[in-house]
Amino acid sequence: MRRLLAVLVLMAGLLSGCSRSDNIRIGVLSISSGPDAYVGQASDLALRDRVDELNAAGGIAGRKVELVIYDTRGEITEAVAAAHRLIDQDRVDVIIGPSWSGAAIPIAAIADEAQVPVIATTASNPLVTVDEAGAVHPFMFRVCFIDPYQGSALADFAYHELGLRRAGFITDITSPYSVGIQQFFSERFRALGGEVVAEEAYQANETEFRPMLTKVAAAGADVLMVPSATYRDIALAARQAAGLGINIQYLGVDGWMADDLLAMSGAELEGAYLASGVSTEAPRFAEFNAAFSAKHGIQPSIYAYYALDALAAIESAYYAAGSYADGPALAEVLANLKDTELFTSMVTVDPATHNPLNKPVEILQVRQGAWVLVKTYTPR
Amino acid sequence: MDAALQQLVSGFSIGALYGLLAVGYALVYSVYRFTNWSFDALLVGAAYALWYALNWAGLPWWLAVPLALLAGAVLGWLLEFTAYRRLRERSAPRVLVLISAMGANLMMINLFTLIFGGALRRLPELVPGGWRIGSVSLGRLDVATGLLACAALGALAWVLRRTRVGMAIRASAYDLETAALMGVDANQLAMLVFGMSGVLAGLAGIMVGLRYAVYPYMGLVTLKAMIAAILGGLGSLEGALAGAFLLALTETLIAATVSTAWRDLLAFAVLIVVLLVFPNGLFGAREVA
Repeated sequence: MRRLLAVLVLMAGLLSGCSRSDNIRIGVLSISSGPDAYVGQASDLALRDRVDELNAAGGIAGRKVELVIYDTRGEITEAVAAAHRLIDQDRVDVIIGPSWSGAAIPIAAIADEAQVPVIATTASNPLVTVDEAGAVHPFMFRVCFIDPYQGSALADFAYHELGLRRAGFITDITSPYSVGIQQFFSERFRALGGEVVAEEAYQANETEFRPMLTKVAAAGADVLMVPSATYRDIALAARQAAGLGINIQYLGVDGWMADDLLAMSGAELEGAYLASGVSTEAPRFAEFNAAFSAKHGIQPSIYAYYALDALAAIESAYYAAGSYADGPALAEVLANLKDTELFTSMVTVDPATHNPLNKPVEILQVRQGAWVLVKTYTPR
Repeated sequence: MDAALQQLVSGFSIGALYGLLAVGYALVYSVYRFTNWSFDALLVGAAYALWYALNWAGLPWWLAVPLALLAGAVLGWLLEFTAYRRLRERSAPRVLVLISAMGANLMMINLFTLIFGGALRRLPELVPGGWRIGSVSLGRLDVATGLLACAALGALAWVLRRTRVGMAIRASAYDLETAALMGVDANQLAMLVFGMSGVLAGLAGIMVGLRYAVYPYMGLVTLKAMIAAILGGLGSLEGALAGAFLLALTETLIAATVSTAWRDLLAFAVLIVVLLVFPNGLFGAREVA
């Protein structure tokens, strides 16, 4: 009995030791191993750099900042478990991530219950911040635009600017992001008068796309939309299409945005268009990019940019709500951000949906191994 | 019609790749009666070796390819030394060896991710071009993969059935202890089998790398190959190849005629039906392992 008591006392001491901290603790749901490790590799480094900078200058509103980064391997179950751990054990004040909608949707309910604000980075499915009935999750936020924006912007662009009428899809049916964009693109494209002639499917981590490509080509599609959450899928598909002699106009999404895509399949994707909230090629990031790659030997990615956006949002929330603000006070500020300068752009948040209101959709084209900005849509 | 023909050609090409991998599984299984779950890591290791030999060291392909195969063999030996040998010497249950292999595999894949990063890397086109008949394309790489799978099978069958070494392997497969009493050195034999399986994994790694890309999780395709080996009858080399083509053609036929979304679901339903009718696989021995 006495031994049991000793163990309990020790555990209580350890637990209280965990929570007794004067630092602002920011949890991060990252992806640093598994097939999608490239997503978290640059963003973890960018966050650490920025936190070092903040702490060197005295922290946020006078409090030092501490990062608690967990690797979720890009898996929903791991992400949910890590969110619980961040909230229950590490007692973080606020959480950055996850990147994928599949993980962000279940985490929204966890955030609400624990009253800990979570700022998703690139999770763009509408159901991340609102539930099925349209009610907002009070503690769930995001810094990216949502899929309907990019789906309908792409449909508009394909129909009006490119004059394309017959769309084919190759979609990852295990990803709410991919399925969502397909749905929003199709609705808009059909409404404009276009036709969807092929809807082919695959599951996460597929490598063999020839059966789907053959069917899309046989259906007579004049545009192939691959709304993949990772650049891996389109990189492999484009090479296989070239091997089959299929020459088609590709349309893509911000899930494609990785410089490694250009190194891998830039030649096959020459002329392809994609939508993105931000481009690593924009001149305003040149200085940051150069410093980052000089320090770490790798290129920053849009995942790093969005993570820095989330951190910047947290900073402004603390300055507005006070350095010892609790979860509800921070959430209140985050829900009402107005013309706030984040890392990538100015952001105003819609309190009814927690979606950033004025995020532009940039249409980029692959030209000679580089992304070139061709058009910017500002959603209404 | 052309689309259906193209699907058939793709099915053959996928089958050839599964076949090359499945033969590697069958080799280890035929001797040690366990599925070598770390085949995946050997494949990835060899593919990275090839990428670095070509792009970093700038070696010509005829030097880089044997080096990659050697890397596969060395990794195979490393695993035998670290993960399998002691378990075998203590006659540990086969399921423990299996778990040890799975653990070693996960560890190595994670190590590769840490060392090399998660990015896709492109190998130069060592087997470029192909043929076009009407609108049907057949890549030289597909034909080469098919020929390699058949050649690997032929070479293995010859070694196992026509040479003294092969006889030792087969004797050990039949009864490891009696073979040892008859003068077969179990450790030397293991080095040989795991070395050969490493070379096969290396070949597969090269072909998977050329067809898709080099990245830490490129070996996920081995899961399908293992299923093909089970379908053919674990331990049977011919069965492995037959199972590989059967699985790949079933997959592509379903993708072409029903739906790509239903491909895996229906293909594995077919697999279960085949195993219900032939519990030991199509070419499997009667013994239940």
